[in-house]
Amino acid sequence: MAETDSTILKMTGISKSFPGVQALENVDLSLKQGEILALVGENGAGKSTLIKVLTGVEHPDTGTITLFGRDTRVRSPQHAVDLGISTVYQENNLCMNLSVAENIIIGREPMRFLWWKVNLEGLSPSARRIIRMLVYIDWQTMHALAKKLLLELGVDIDVTQPLGSYSVAIQQMVAIARALEISNAKILIFDEPTSSLDLDETRQLFDVMKQLKQKGVGIVFITHFLNQVYEVSDRITVLRNGKLVGTYETRQLPHLDLIAKMIGRSLSGLDEMTKIKLRTMKTIKKEPCLTARGVGRAGAIKPFDLDLHRGEVVGLAGLLGSGRTEIASLLYGTETPDVGTLIVENQAVKNFSPLDSIKRGVVLCPEDRKGEGIVDDLTVRENIILALQASRGWFRYLSTPQQYEIAERYIKLLNISTPSADQAVKNLSGGNQQKVILARWLAANPEVMILDEPTRGIDVGTKTEIQKLVLTLAEEGKSCVFISSELEEVIRTSHRIVVLRDREKVGEFVGETDEQKIMKTMAGSEA
Amino acid sequence: MKTTKPFISWRTITESRLFFPLLALAIILAFDLIFVPGFFNFSTMDGHLYGSIIDVLRNGSSIMLLAIGMTLVIATGGVDLSVGAVMAIAASVAALMMNPYVLATELPPNLAKLVFDPHFTYSPLWLVIIVTLLISTICGLWNGLLVAYGRIQAMVATLILMIAGRGIAQLITNGIRIQIFYDPYAFIGNGWIILPFPLYIVTVVFLAAWIITRRTAIGLFIESVGINFRSSFFSGIDEKKIKLLAYAFCGFCAGVAGLIASSNIKTSDANNIGLTLELDAILAVVIGGTLMSGGRFSLLASVIGALVIQAMTTSILSIGVPAFAIQAIKGVFVIFVIVLYSDQVRGFIRRITAPKGVTL
Amino acid sequence: MMSRVGSLVSKYRRFIPLSATVLLFIVAYIYGLFAFPSMRDPQVFLNMFRNYPFLLISAVGMTFVILTGGIDLSVSGVVALTTVASAALLRGGMHPALVIVLMLLMGIALGATMGSFIAFMKVQPFIATLAGMWFARGMCFFISDDAIAINNWWWKVLGQTKFLIPGLSDPAAKTGDFISPLVIVSLTVVLIAIYVSQFTRFGRTVYAVGGNEQSARLMGLPVESTKVIVYTISGFCSALAGLALSIAVASGHGLYAQMFELDVIASVVMGGTLLSGGTGYMFGTLFGVLVNVLIQTLIQFQGSLSSWWTKIVIGVLTLIFIGVQSQLAARRARLPGEAGAAGTEKSFWARRWKLITAVGGVVVALVAVIFIVRGLQGPDGGGAAAGCTDPAFRQELAAQLMQEPGAVLTYEKNGGPNCTGELFVIYSDGRIVGDNGTAKIEKQITPEEVQALLSAIDDLGWYTDEFYDTWHARCGQCFGYYITVAYDGQVKTVRGVDGGTDAPTRYWDVVTLIYAVIPKFN
Repeated sequence: MAETDSTILKMTGISKSFPGVQALENVDLSLKQGEILALVGENGAGKSTLIKVLTGVEHPDTGTITLFGRDTRVRSPQHAVDLGISTVYQENNLCMNLSVAENIIIGREPMRFLWWKVNLEGLSPSARRIIRMLVYIDWQTMHALAKKLLLELGVDIDVTQPLGSYSVAIQQMVAIARALEISNAKILIFDEPTSSLDLDETRQLFDVMKQLKQKGVGIVFITHFLNQVYEVSDRITVLRNGKLVGTYETRQLPHLDLIAKMIGRSLSGLDEMTKIKLRTMKTIKKEPCLTARGVGRAGAIKPFDLDLHRGEVVGLAGLLGSGRTEIASLLYGTETPDVGTLIVENQAVKNFSPLDSIKRGVVLCPEDRKGEGIVDDLTVRENIILALQASRGWFRYLSTPQQYEIAERYIKLLNISTPSADQAVKNLSGGNQQKVILARWLAANPEVMILDEPTRGIDVGTKTEIQKLVLTLAEEGKSCVFISSELEEVIRTSHRIVVLRDREKVGEFVGETDEQKIMKTMAGSEA
Repeated sequence: MKTTKPFISWRTITESRLFFPLLALAIILAFDLIFVPGFFNFSTMDGHLYGSIIDVLRNGSSIMLLAIGMTLVIATGGVDLSVGAVMAIAASVAALMMNPYVLATELPPNLAKLVFDPHFTYSPLWLVIIVTLLISTICGLWNGLLVAYGRIQAMVATLILMIAGRGIAQLITNGIRIQIFYDPYAFIGNGWIILPFPLYIVTVVFLAAWIITRRTAIGLFIESVGINFRSSFFSGIDEKKIKLLAYAFCGFCAGVAGLIASSNIKTSDANNIGLTLELDAILAVVIGGTLMSGGRFSLLASVIGALVIQAMTTSILSIGVPAFAIQAIKGVFVIFVIVLYSDQVRGFIRRITAPKGVTL
Repeated sequence: MMSRVGSLVSKYRRFIPLSATVLLFIVAYIYGLFAFPSMRDPQVFLNMFRNYPFLLISAVGMTFVILTGGIDLSVSGVVALTTVASAALLRGGMHPALVIVLMLLMGIALGATMGSFIAFMKVQPFIATLAGMWFARGMCFFISDDAIAINNWWWKVLGQTKFLIPGLSDPAAKTGDFISPLVIVSLTVVLIAIYVSQFTRFGRTVYAVGGNEQSARLMGLPVESTKVIVYTISGFCSALAGLALSIAVASGHGLYAQMFELDVIASVVMGGTLLSGGTGYMFGTLFGVLVNVLIQTLIQFQGSLSSWWTKIVIGVLTLIFIGVQSQLAARRARLPGEAGAAGTEKSFWARRWKLITAVGGVVVALVAVIFIVRGLQGPDGGGAAAGCTDPAFRQELAAQLMQEPGAVLTYEKNGGPNCTGELFVIYSDGRIVGDNGTAKIEKQITPEEVQALLSAIDDLGWYTDEFYDTWHARCGQCFGYYITVAYDGQVKTVRGVDGGTDAPTRYWDVVTLIYAVIPKFN
């Protein structure tokens, strides 16, 4: 790696906003030849938007992209590929039904006519048009070529099998092979590549990345696994809430500092929130309303214990992939645990389903707002009363005036900005959509609310509103499990914090406001 | 988007779900007004009301019924191709129950005469109706089981019954077109109480459907499941039961339609009853504005869609176009409708009529 | 050893649905060879190709469409339109070669139009091809109301030339086992399709689009133009199939090929092609068609089962195949908690229990249906032994009888489960005489009743164009009728047979009227 300036990519002052939300604000990024740059930040930080800008999926509102010293506008994904920027996604953009070899080479298969091998790409357009009719796919050569490409990446498999019959790790290798083969990539972006890989496969991937590094390819590596960041990257760019926090040399940035930069620091000093919290601590009842003993699910979360008391807010802290959402699923019943017992209101839970949970008074506000939360074509009113109505069944239908009354009540309570209760939810901004979902669960009269990332993608003002709301509910005797990637928020809102790491509960803190301690537990002993 | 109730303005009219189907109907009626003399004439005879419009209503009753049931199924994101076959099954069952003797090769002479007696029926009419509707609902449940629990694509699952159903209908009657001479049964399809009797049947079924979907939570749940079944699941809705209900009701409607159709021709014609009607029903629902991907639906709009199809057929026949040309014109009409409803054109029209300031 | 087999199986796992079809074909054929001695004639096997070339050709085109995840409902319309149009053009004197070319161009044009709607205007294939079907079928009737016969030399040659199979025939005597030119055409189409789908970039793009359209687009493949081309291919194949059909039946009619698309789709599905797209082989389609045809053949040989059993069996088989397919193959929309969680290790059978239950349920349902329906029919239902042949209509005898003084009506009813034949004559003085080949029977009614009968038949329109001859192979339980009526100076004979859709509807009213008065044999 040369010390001289071998910057191949420079993004300067990139800003991008969507209706209601500023996804990126004045972000810079630079990438050198033959280096691995880690791009980190929690959910909603703006990583994916930045990559979308780089790969031509989105166009920035402001800012410039300089590629190999030349100012460029990336017009489309295909254009990005032509420019030498290739992406390997977590969700592969490959066809599972085609063979491995085809996935790598489709579109540019080697052709033959009887015993002559023909290279269509090398012909002039007019010659190509004629010859194209006569030639057919040279499977032998194609398989050999695919095998060779994969061997270079250290993968030895039968390339004639359909891609879908291989593990995600292999699929990823195939995606990489295609990316390299097709675009002669000089910049390779890896978007969360290790989420579905085990230790050995991850190691293999890193070997490949280092190999590519030697060849001079510039790599942008997006991940939320911080130990991996330290294992392979040369530099780290940190984003938070759409803004650039900074770019650092990896070996010069301690682990804890990195976490601190990612998740932000709490504002010190007593504020109204803390006052409420102190007040509510007194009203927490002794008896638990929800108890989990040894509840676990293979592949999702190791068995854990959890007690929840009336009037208490328990926060789940941990990085992405630590098992937060999995705990929420088990408590709510969308997944059935393999082991352990769950006791709600002194009754053991036998049927695990959302409907049963709602009837028991346990609700979940899911993480995936679009996919699991809103029903976008329905109106605000209908979305709000949906769960309440589900709990009442088919026949005890809420009359229309009743529905409007409930809807209006929560619109006012949560300050939902909408022209009317009859607006289709898809027309609302992300923050207001989230409020509608919250309203839905509040309207179901729950005793326990599990909130998974309730403030993601929401502006600061609304965030505080929601946090205050959680504490107010606690004061009224409700309980809450509060899940968030932002530690400051978890600390601010929770009476007790459960720390998760690598799909396991590793610690519990009561009334602790020392972030350092908590972050250390989140990060693990390598910190 | 649903409109807020109290206001009637140009916007609410154009954005209402009924706008496009009513527009299509209006175009056809305008065409009739200009080109078909006497289309809007009514006459009375024996206390019955006659006229081209009455014909449209009467002949379209099968399609209207099928469209009502089909709307629910399509709203859940599925489709039911088997409704025509279920009509045939219903007709066969009903005919067999009224006249099982037709299967015997030899009849004692007194029975042989009896069979042609207009007052003769082997089973009482109420039993015939109940059993028939029960069986057609079971057919619907079968479809629903395959789709909701077997997780088979709706088009494929209902294709099975579509193919096998006619075979089953034939088998029930042993291939014979059973003639039905029983008068009260003929009343179902041919009777008149001022207006043709089938209209009353359609109205009752429509009201039943409306009550089921809009006076209970079922309609809301169907729409929710059709739009986003994951979110519905997280909200506690049992999407499997909802789908089961939709398909069962669709089968029920097909059964009623089968009774009317076979009553009309006084025969159980397993090969021809309901042939291609499933396609008409789907088209009616599409004209009515329900997306084939599921979601928001309007029973009234689908019924209007059915009327559009029937009115078009009747109008074209009225101006003397021979019957065979109907199909071709239907084809062109479908193309026109689907272009009209395509994303490009819809977006275009919405942009024109959108009030200022509303984010799209 | 077991692991060697296991790894072999997993290596070729993607061929399992196809193998299942081939296996089913072989097993069913062997069963047929044992159960029906007359099936051992090799010509029977060759006839399976000879009698349904249009099904095979259409299925090939449909396979391309389904591989992209779409569907083509217009095939029956295009086939019918091709038969009518070609018949009309030939009758008008156009050169047969030109007719063929024109028809194929028409198929291409129709297919390309539908494909454009689907690819560019994003119309659902279901609706677009449905509209195409209506349009095509409607166009048939613009050309002609009735069937048009084809009398062309080219058509005759193509339809009736026998290519004797060497080794199975005697060229000198011109007898033996043979195939027709259309068989060669259809097999050629299959071969070309196999080549295109496996050896051209276009073919592989078809698979990619069906597998994951979004991925294909992101991979830079020409998704839209591929879609247009597959529908064009299907249109071409439909037209070619229509030509084959018109050659086979030497006529064209808008009523042909009703519900044909279902047969085609069922064949394709049974061949192992997934309706969701991306998986399937042309070779599989070939066997899917063969299985379809084999079932019909077996039922014909059985003789006692009605043709509707074919429909039911095909429906059930399709269901089983689809059930197996969807379990063995792709992802479906699932709710959390439905599939096993990643990493849970359940036994092979535990994972497959849903499939087993589904198949078991279907078998139980089928058996139940059989029992219920048989029960409803009573002891009269059920079939006769296979192998009875119908007596021919005694047409000359009937004509003779009509010449006798006073004879006004002859009514012959042949067939049924026992292949019986009954001929009745009604005289104007009220005498009715009948014989069934072994016994005679007589009955006397009043002359007024006879007049009433004749008048009623006339009122139904017996002597108008609305009553015409229809005939087709009858089902096991069905009867054929040969009725001559003389009234008011007019005499007319009309033939008909149970169970078809083609007989004039009021024919059955006439049969009923006559049945009411004639005496019955015991």
